[in-house]
Amino acid sequence: MITFEGVTKRYPGGTVAVDNLDLEVPAGQTMVLVGPSGCGKTTSLRMINRMIDPSGGKILLDGKDIQESNPSVLRRGIGYVIQQSGLFPNRTIQDNIATVPLLIGWGRARARARARELMTLVGLEEQLARRYPYQLSGGQQQRVGVARALAADPPVLLMDEPFSAVDPIVRATLQDELIKLQADLHKTIVLVTHDVEEAIKVGDQVAIFRPGGHLAQLDTPERLLAAPADSYVENFLGFDRGIRRLSFLAASGLNLDDRTVVGEDTAASMAAQVARQAGEDWVLVMDSGRRPCGWAAASDLESLPSGSQAGQARLEPYGHTFGVHTDSLRAALDATVLSPAGRAVGVDDDGRVIGVTSYERLRVTIHAADEDSPQAAGLAGATRRDMAPEAAAEQ
Amino acid sequence: MTWSWIPQNAAMIRQLTLENAYLGIVPALLGLVISLPLGIACARWKWFYPPVLSAASVLYALPSLALFIVLIPYTGLTDTTVIIPLTLFSLCVLVPNVVDGMRSVPESVRQAATAMGFGALRRLVQVELPIAIPVVIAGLRVAVVSSISLASVGQLIGVSSLGYLFIDGYQRDFPTEIIVGGALIIALALVCDLVLVLARRALTPWQPPSRQREAAEIAARQQPAAAVPGGAR
Repeated sequence: MITFEGVTKRYPGGTVAVDNLDLEVPAGQTMVLVGPSGCGKTTSLRMINRMIDPSGGKILLDGKDIQESNPSVLRRGIGYVIQQSGLFPNRTIQDNIATVPLLIGWGRARARARARELMTLVGLEEQLARRYPYQLSGGQQQRVGVARALAADPPVLLMDEPFSAVDPIVRATLQDELIKLQADLHKTIVLVTHDVEEAIKVGDQVAIFRPGGHLAQLDTPERLLAAPADSYVENFLGFDRGIRRLSFLAASGLNLDDRTVVGEDTAASMAAQVARQAGEDWVLVMDSGRRPCGWAAASDLESLPSGSQAGQARLEPYGHTFGVHTDSLRAALDATVLSPAGRAVGVDDDGRVIGVTSYERLRVTIHAADEDSPQAAGLAGATRRDMAPEAAAEQ
Repeated sequence: MTWSWIPQNAAMIRQLTLENAYLGIVPALLGLVISLPLGIACARWKWFYPPVLSAASVLYALPSLALFIVLIPYTGLTDTTVIIPLTLFSLCVLVPNVVDGMRSVPESVRQAATAMGFGALRRLVQVELPIAIPVVIAGLRVAVVSSISLASVGQLIGVSSLGYLFIDGYQRDFPTEIIVGGALIIALALVCDLVLVLARRALTPWQPPSRQREAAEIAARQQPAAAVPGGAR
């Protein structure tokens, strides 16, 4: 656990980079510090391993004041990943990764064996071990940077804009892999970024800084999106936070419609009747294995000669489906928006149709989620308290 | 051109070539030994660099012959009298190259080393100096080549080198000797230069081949300065 107690960093000349910061990073969690440049996020990060010393307050690492530690010794126990990978150009990949183990006196053989182990962990092929950094792509170099930081198995990992120098596709992959790694390793991670999307994606908690080194809000990503503390945070999160918030709501909460789903061998007239009874213009046609074939319009089904089957209707493509048990409401909404029928297909883990959703069903689910956690509705305190019992009564 | 003169005097020519090589290489190496601490200090404490650079330039501006004459009362007509001025001259090339070499270490690498727990000395020896090698060797190549050619001036005070062939050839009005002396100095300089190029390749297997390096440098220049820590310097 890392604890900031009233930490201030003031530079000679009066610039205040960090102003009286109180912050607690629980062990085993990922804390993302995010904010515009000059907000003190990087300074805060670098004070944890004493690259910068605070001018006031103190920082505790597992309850111990870091000012009492020798800087080099302290740093060997804290992994560090830097923006431009910062790999030593004159060392091979394996020797780059083995840096800290060698510094703390492991033998060369043991350090290299550990390096190989880490290369596998971060998804680098073993044949790269003897290459030099210039022979690797930017994304690979950044993986080496992560492996190097993890080499001596430090409990704490500091990451200073680790993915900002790679292209967006590689960045997304690296973020996903960090999340996976962290699920296994449970390091105490402090990650600095200026990218709020990244913060929300990888953080267990996100600390939003405002210029002048103040903490604007510290919360889980979900709660940040649902209830920004003030207009600064709201602006910083961006205009589409309402939609991004849906990433944190599971699609399994949707009440799916399984009435307007028919097999391809159903009589066309039956299928049309199903649609009309449900008050819908479309039915989803699926094959005998419950895999979706496409949308059939009720009017088209009715115009088919009698004796036809639903599968013979003109089928509109169903676009992309969403996994009911794996995806979020955001994926369900996206699929709905892209579907020509304005309705999207929810499937199980094997791709079999469970049911379909619509804007109206999405709306109901989103509102229900807001009522379950009244704060998430983003309403002021008083109103919230007034509304909660009502919502409960309705249910 | 009297070709037969060459085999007849082969032993003398070989002797003079070796002496010239000695007078060229030793000052460059001594210059390197002095330049490393000086250049490292200049890279670390920026205020220290301008006075050191000025001093090195002033030394370089002194005529070699004048320096020899000043030194004769102390060191006599020995190799030392030639080696000391040539060593001082080499500083003018070597100190800036050591400084540039230290500055060629990317700021992200320096920070990463510090953050991983390298102390200042260990960082210097294990990270910064190895990365500075290519730039330092580039300076050493210039220093060796210029010492080799300047060493011949020492002949004027009787310190033996290929310069003997110039003076003797001039006095005897024998152009063959002068041409052979000139050709050997050029050949000696080229051989030493080649050895240093090979040494750099052997010492820095981590450097991209030159074409890739140029591309990388162009790419680095095109990056916005703000994206590179310390890039605004």
